[in-house]
Amino acid sequence: MTVIRVDHLARVEGHGGITVEIENGAVRRVEFNIFEGIRLLETLVGGRDCADVSPIVSRICAICSVAHALTSLKATEAAMGIQVTPQTNLLRELLFRGENIQSHALHFFCLALPDYLGYPSLLHMAADRPAEVQLGLRLKKLGNLIQETVGGRAIHPVNAVLGGFARLPAPEQLVALRHALVQGRRDADAAVELAGALPPLSVAGSPTAYAAAIGAEGYGYYWTDHAVLLDSGRWHVFCPPDYRRLTNERPVPHSHARYSSFDGKPFMVGALARLAIRSDRLGPRAAAAMRYLGMALPGSNPLDNNKAQLVEIVEDLDFALRVVDHFLEHGVRHETPVPLQRRPGQGTAFTEAPRGLLVHSYAYDEQGRLVAADVITPTAINAASIEDRFRAVVSNADGLPSEELASRLAIVARAYDPCLSCSVHVIETRHAG
Amino acid sequence: MPGPRVGIFGLTGCAGDQLVLLDCEDELLALAGLVDIRDFLMASSARDRESPLDVALVEGCVASRRDEERLQEIRQRARLLVALGTCAVCGGVPAMADDDEAARRARLAAVYGELGGVYDSLPPRALGEVVPVDLGLPGCPVEKDELLALLAHLLAGHPPPPIEWPVCADCRMAENRCLLLDGVPLCCGPLTLGGCKARCPGMGVPCQGCRGPIEDADPSAALAVFTQAGLSREQIASKLRTFSGRALSKETP
Repeated sequence: MTVIRVDHLARVEGHGGITVEIENGAVRRVEFNIFEGIRLLETLVGGRDCADVSPIVSRICAICSVAHALTSLKATEAAMGIQVTPQTNLLRELLFRGENIQSHALHFFCLALPDYLGYPSLLHMAADRPAEVQLGLRLKKLGNLIQETVGGRAIHPVNAVLGGFARLPAPEQLVALRHALVQGRRDADAAVELAGALPPLSVAGSPTAYAAAIGAEGYGYYWTDHAVLLDSGRWHVFCPPDYRRLTNERPVPHSHARYSSFDGKPFMVGALARLAIRSDRLGPRAAAAMRYLGMALPGSNPLDNNKAQLVEIVEDLDFALRVVDHFLEHGVRHETPVPLQRRPGQGTAFTEAPRGLLVHSYAYDEQGRLVAADVITPTAINAASIEDRFRAVVSNADGLPSEELASRLAIVARAYDPCLSCSVHVIETRHAG
Repeated sequence: MPGPRVGIFGLTGCAGDQLVLLDCEDELLALAGLVDIRDFLMASSARDRESPLDVALVEGCVASRRDEERLQEIRQRARLLVALGTCAVCGGVPAMADDDEAARRARLAAVYGELGGVYDSLPPRALGEVVPVDLGLPGCPVEKDELLALLAHLLAGHPPPPIEWPVCADCRMAENRCLLLDGVPLCCGPLTLGGCKARCPGMGVPCQGCRGPIEDADPSAALAVFTQAGLSREQIASKLRTFSGRALSKETP
């Protein structure tokens, strides 16, 4: 029997490995092992006041901290019957875009690009490819600037609170951001050109189902109100309270993530899934970038997720520039957060985190204390899909040396941009009183 | 590349402190030229797992046997071990429950059902509860300028000066209005390690204590203020313990 093992995946967030066993040419076992330490954060928010929940669940993951903090606010506000202002909604969507740009630039340039160009890391590329390295770092910094301007901190935002924002961006901050966005759009175009010229990596694809949240209009991440699953040309639609019908999670012994499936099949979430489901919502520049990259949708190659992230960076920068111009023209209205009236209730929110569909669902008692919490993260959803992709690669790897096969499996896992800190916090828990 | 040999590691946590390092977009390349990064799994597949390190930066808490073993290996390799971020310094959010093993097992079962028993899971601990730690930089996440200052000090061959003031001192320096005097019922500033330039109170958001407790704080005066504002002991305790892990004893407050 041949055993292929990747003990500790490099260039991903968190701790995970790969185990594959092949006997007489047949694949016996394929596992994506997530051994990220268990923090049981869901059990720690039990009994806490509704205003404490968002800052705690933000700590699930640094790279997706905006998504967790704001999805949490959205679910809590739904439970408390709080309606935030249109300006708050606009700023929250802008904050999501900042996180998406930062996260995608980090993944594309620092984690994935070294595979294409044959380096162990971005830092190792600095001597030979300084232009590409600087380009990636500039885009990443711009995503962080949006997050700092709107959220008050690049990681674990402090400014987004129940009902709105504690502090609104000042005009001089918006002017500085505008300058950076104009340069950023040129950088995003250069990044798309770079991606178009990359050597293809040989990895067997396989058809998959996709899921993404979507709103009434636009290519929103925070502005979403239902989820869509696309499987072999058929569409299934889910409202937030219905989320379990979509995810059907179950625990497995070889991973600290629970596994999701619909109709017995795993599905993929993230940038590629969003394009597969809602690329008709892209603006003209992002649509042109997608054509330039020759992406065929829905597609079967997981590595296309790397390109999809660049298409989204183009889209998100255009959106950010429109929003900043809107505020510079019309001014930022002086608003304070909508006052909180604690009451019992349940609330579930869908959003699109950088890595895909994110669900937060809470129940509160009459004092506004949390009695039940359920968080389903994109990486947990993707875990089963990643194993499916591993199986396809292994089945098509006749005679490939073990080391090469292990490297290909790592490249496939990395293309999903897994965030393993997130993946272990996916569980419903109920608290007495 | 000469220069001190550095390893950057994450145990159980959100990877936020390693991300702060990667967020030093303007300084990262210069930094990579000044130090010899031997092991940085989150950013590089080129790993040197054996050679001795001059400095190990370790974020996260110890929440599994695997974490424990990795930390012991890192300690053996490293001349200087730096705890990076509040989880590493005092246990942070994962350690807030600080309950007994039976209660923790019950929480594990609530989350994973029967499988809860098969996973490698230990009560979350700060690094210093497992191995000797030479330096700690708090923050959830650490502040970028403090991290860079720490690295600059280490490159110059001496440790950075310790933080010995609460967030309140940062607030005074920034000339912020005191949120407690303005009627906010609870701000963790008086009991929390400073150095963050009062980032949250500066935005009108009460300090959540994300940098962990200051060592010689006398909580009684702050407690009197919070109690006067109408908060119960339980409410105060849960707020103060959110980031402080086991560093605040069960009796405080």
